Amino acid sequence: MDTNDQLEQILARHIENEGNLISLLQDVQESFGYVPEDAVNWFSEKLDIPASRFYGVVTFYSQFHLKPRGKNIITACCGTACHVNGSARIIEGLKRELKLSEGEDTTEDGKFTLEEVACLGTCSFAPVVLINGKIHGRTKTDKVLKEVKSLEKASGKAKK
Amino acid sequence: MNDETTIIRVCMGPGGIAAGGKDVLDKFSAILSKHKVRAKLKDKCSSHKVGCMGLCARDVLVEIEKDGSKTVYQYVTPEMVERIVREHLINGNRIAEWLVDEAYERFHAKQVKVVLENCGKFDPEDIEAYKKAGGYTAANKALCSMTPEEVIEEIKSSGLRGRGGAGFPTGQKWEFGRRSPGNEKYIICNADEGDPGAFMDRAVIEGNPHSVIEGMIIGGYAIGASKGYVYIRAEYPLAVERLKLAIRQAHTAGYLGKQIFGSPFDFELIIKLGAGAFVCGEETALMASIEGLRGMPRAKPPFPAQKGLWGRPTIINNVETLANIPTIMRRGAKWFASFGTEQSKGSKVFALTGKVKNTGLIEVPMGITLREIIYDIGGGIVNDKELKAVQTGGPSGGCIPADHLDIKVDYESLAKVGSIVGSGGMIVLDSENCMVNIARYFLNFTRLESCGKCVPCRIGAKRLLEILTRITEGEGREGDIELLESLSHDIKNSSLCGLGQTAPNPILSTLKYFRDEYETHIKYKRCPSLVCREIISSACQHTCPIGAEVSAYTALISQGRFDEAVQIIRKDNPLASVCARVCHHPCEAGCKAAESGGKPVSIRSLKRFAMDYARRKKLTVPVCREGLKDQKIAIIGSGPAGMTAAYYLSLKGYDVTVFESRRVLGGMLRIAIPEYRLPKEVFGLDVALVESAGVKFRKGTALGKDITLDHLFKDGYNAVFIAIGSQKSLKLDVPGEDSKGVIPSLTFLEAINTSKKIRVGKKVVVIGGGNSAVDSARTANRLEGTEQVTLLYRRTRAEMPAYAEEIEAAAEEGIDMQFLTAPVEVVSRKGKFSGIKCIRMKLGDKDKSGRARPSPIEGSEFVIDADTLIVAIGEKPDISFFGLKGCRDIYVSEKSTLVVDPETLATSRPGVFAGGDVVTGSNTVIHAMQAGKKAVESIDKYLRGEPLEIKYEVTRPSRYVAPVELTDAEIEEVMALERPEMPMLPVKKRKKNFREVDLGFTEEMAMNEAKRCLRCELGTKDGQKALQEMARGKG
Repeated sequence: MDTNDQLEQILARHIENEGNLISLLQDVQESFGYVPEDAVNWFSEKLDIPASRFYGVVTFYSQFHLKPRGKNIITACCGTACHVNGSARIIEGLKRELKLSEGEDTTEDGKFTLEEVACLGTCSFAPVVLINGKIHGRTKTDKVLKEVKSLEKASGKAKK
Repeated sequence: MNDETTIIRVCMGPGGIAAGGKDVLDKFSAILSKHKVRAKLKDKCSSHKVGCMGLCARDVLVEIEKDGSKTVYQYVTPEMVERIVREHLINGNRIAEWLVDEAYERFHAKQVKVVLENCGKFDPEDIEAYKKAGGYTAANKALCSMTPEEVIEEIKSSGLRGRGGAGFPTGQKWEFGRRSPGNEKYIICNADEGDPGAFMDRAVIEGNPHSVIEGMIIGGYAIGASKGYVYIRAEYPLAVERLKLAIRQAHTAGYLGKQIFGSPFDFELIIKLGAGAFVCGEETALMASIEGLRGMPRAKPPFPAQKGLWGRPTIINNVETLANIPTIMRRGAKWFASFGTEQSKGSKVFALTGKVKNTGLIEVPMGITLREIIYDIGGGIVNDKELKAVQTGGPSGGCIPADHLDIKVDYESLAKVGSIVGSGGMIVLDSENCMVNIARYFLNFTRLESCGKCVPCRIGAKRLLEILTRITEGEGREGDIELLESLSHDIKNSSLCGLGQTAPNPILSTLKYFRDEYETHIKYKRCPSLVCREIISSACQHTCPIGAEVSAYTALISQGRFDEAVQIIRKDNPLASVCARVCHHPCEAGCKAAESGGKPVSIRSLKRFAMDYARRKKLTVPVCREGLKDQKIAIIGSGPAGMTAAYYLSLKGYDVTVFESRRVLGGMLRIAIPEYRLPKEVFGLDVALVESAGVKFRKGTALGKDITLDHLFKDGYNAVFIAIGSQKSLKLDVPGEDSKGVIPSLTFLEAINTSKKIRVGKKVVVIGGGNSAVDSARTANRLEGTEQVTLLYRRTRAEMPAYAEEIEAAAEEGIDMQFLTAPVEVVSRKGKFSGIKCIRMKLGDKDKSGRARPSPIEGSEFVIDADTLIVAIGEKPDISFFGLKGCRDIYVSEKSTLVVDPETLATSRPGVFAGGDVVTGSNTVIHAMQAGKKAVESIDKYLRGEPLEIKYEVTRPSRYVAPVELTDAEIEEVMALERPEMPMLPVKKRKKNFREVDLGFTEEMAMNEAKRCLRCELGTKDGQKALQEMARGKG
């Protein structure tokens, strides 16, 4: 199905379900993995809503991404229970391993996205890291890095 | 007669899912569908997923209901399922070692399940199960036999208050909604649950979604709304799914839609997803979000009840509030109001997490104490550490310190101590959590989540965060605390919505109870909990009283660069050979390798390895004295404090003389530590180093007897450092103590260590629990004539202050240790000492420090025969000559210690400083050495005529050791390494001699152990910069 058909389908669902801008954008993100600029412009035309309104919503809610995400999504919880149980070290270790610089959440080669979220709701198992949807509870830095390394295709050297 | 059905319930609440509940459930289904199994169970067995069972820490929990009784298994994995089916379900034998223990019973004992009543009982996707448990009868009753006003009255008399955090009386809120004019009204369920650390609403929606739907039907009826919205956060996909299914089922059953239960009431329920914004938990922002806008709050009034969603009257209730409604309607308001407190009726669900043993979801009656929640239900702190504080109310809440544990948990009481009940997140903190870091954590969160509309929050929260960040990074300034306070009050008073108004709460709360922690960070650049990375660099170096650069020498050892490691060790420690054997290693207690169940790096043993290497290779440390000065310094005492001060002052070029009262040097190091722990030659190496620095010694010269302070100053000394220690043995204060045969431990150990004659009998009894007692016992045991050594301690083994490995060795060497035993009287026969009368003790209630107090058991006296009694209950300083001629003007305390300025170590007499045990009372070697180093700084400044003010800095190593690149295989190897046991002389080889017991690590053991170091120091900004420079230098 080409992009245009996808967009038409999303529009149809939006009208049928009496959705709002948020649900529309959620549908877009579900289909494309992120919110493409072209999609925003397309809907802006069709619905006669200024693109700025769309961007206002996209930039307000943290669920939306304007850039494509990595092939592997690592979601590190930094909620209170996880923080108290040492999640900061794990996140630090992940940032170092993935060589992410300040403000970046996706590696240059597009293989990994590291997102820090405020609470997954599995606080009893703090600290928690989700790797491609799989929960790793009561985890440690080295365990998480092991998972990540095995996901890394390249067998590059690592520092100690 | 087996008509009974066996039901298997697999917990798949948030905890159960995380622990792998699906795999367990699938395994049950797979095994139960096997033909053989089905036949044996006569097909009367079914397995189900259920919602949260509460004790998430033990997930996956599986409940087997068979023949009318229930059994719960814990930590179930798919591998365990087959055996459970075979042994329990088919053969009827429970598997004892997999069952939950009494902790599970205790966890539930004080809970009262109202909202969570049916969570964990049935499959949440089964509406029939909900109906069987009484579901939808309340809605039926309300819609068909009550007026909306009657419903509202019932809820009002129940005393139910909003469970989202604000605690507004629900009945009253509904009344406002009812009274608001308008044909179209809405009821909204706030399922945004944004507080990090809270998952109550998630568990309720996933575990019993119909209870929320039923609550909304009743609520909609009460206020006159025909449309209801559930605003649920997108981060809960399973809850969304379950709710969608439940709504479809309710529709099909006729509980939603037109003319419900045949009444004139229509009601539709629509789900609206959030999109990741904490502020949308605030009701006006939530409504904006439903309208598809940016979730920015607006001013109130008008309140939602008058003008809400799309300008129409709207009532917003929390999930837990609504989930309470059906039960209240079914069982009656009086029932609900029968528990709780005067102002806070009913029960509350809490998510109990953090450093508590039994993490999970609990529901307790309002008014239960915090102590009961943490200790009875929660099982106490993990690893039995000490509770520091309990954080409630999420980012809007506050921290309740340990001395408020008896507070009743309800809206009013928590508000009184500066916190709130909030939505129910309850996070337990211990001494390893830094309160300044916690405040910063919350401000970081609220700053990110601020919608940006109003200045106080948008800019204020950012400023608060900036100040906290500076403080946690070692750049705190005088006045920061006052600034935090005034800024906080301003932000609270002028922010538009609850997010801004409550954002400063964590700061105000932690300042209220932990102000000293802030001050320590700001003034002394220290983080006592060893959390703030930019201050501590690595926990080991930061917590070491002498600031040893552990990270550097450990890295060097791991790379085989032993010579360099020795230089680093020696730079900070002239008594390294001693410390390597006797230090109580606070560095290891702080080591982050011990996080999450690991073991700390064996830092002390690594130091020992390096020093033994230096000894074998006869490595010398270049001693570099600065330009020689003609000022003379007198150090009184050649113990660790005096030796350390002497060494460094001499290196600074001063003319240093150490006056030692005995004929041997070393103080306690030489006379009190047995040779099997610290051989004389080893100690001699450290003394040699101090001598090589130019330090002069005068033995056999005692202060107060042979010399006085006045003499010293008359002889041209410009400064004096008193480091005479704490060596006057404490007495038992029992009758007969002065008999011959009763010896203080210090006298005993000194005699043995200096080869003085001392009479020791065949049967030796030692009283005490510290290292001195154990040293005395193990030493006495090695003497030729001794046949039996008994050690008596008034508390239990677990409470003995002596090192665990020492106690272990004493037991191995055949010393009889009797605990909970205290001396009553020294017994004599025909004028000769013959034994000791003792009494058994029992541990009573915990005192304020949390330790159980021992008290004697009446009538349990008994006599132990002995020839020698060694009393090892501690010492105090001998300061008797201070205040007498020649040693005047030195203030002493009531505890018989010298009084000094804690930062500069200056006594009340100009030019006279003091440190070590004479100031603190009996303490450790490394603390004495710390005092020695402080004295160096102070005396140096004093002699230069500079102000004595100490400048405090963050901890940093003097050099960063480049890490070595490892292959993936090598990394795997390192991750599998475990902390090794110290090789020791076999027990039979220790008999009746003083050969060194600990043998030291081999080179391979040392290098491997050093590889386990996490290199924390590379994690600071400085460390990262150094890494980059080193990498650049290479390439």
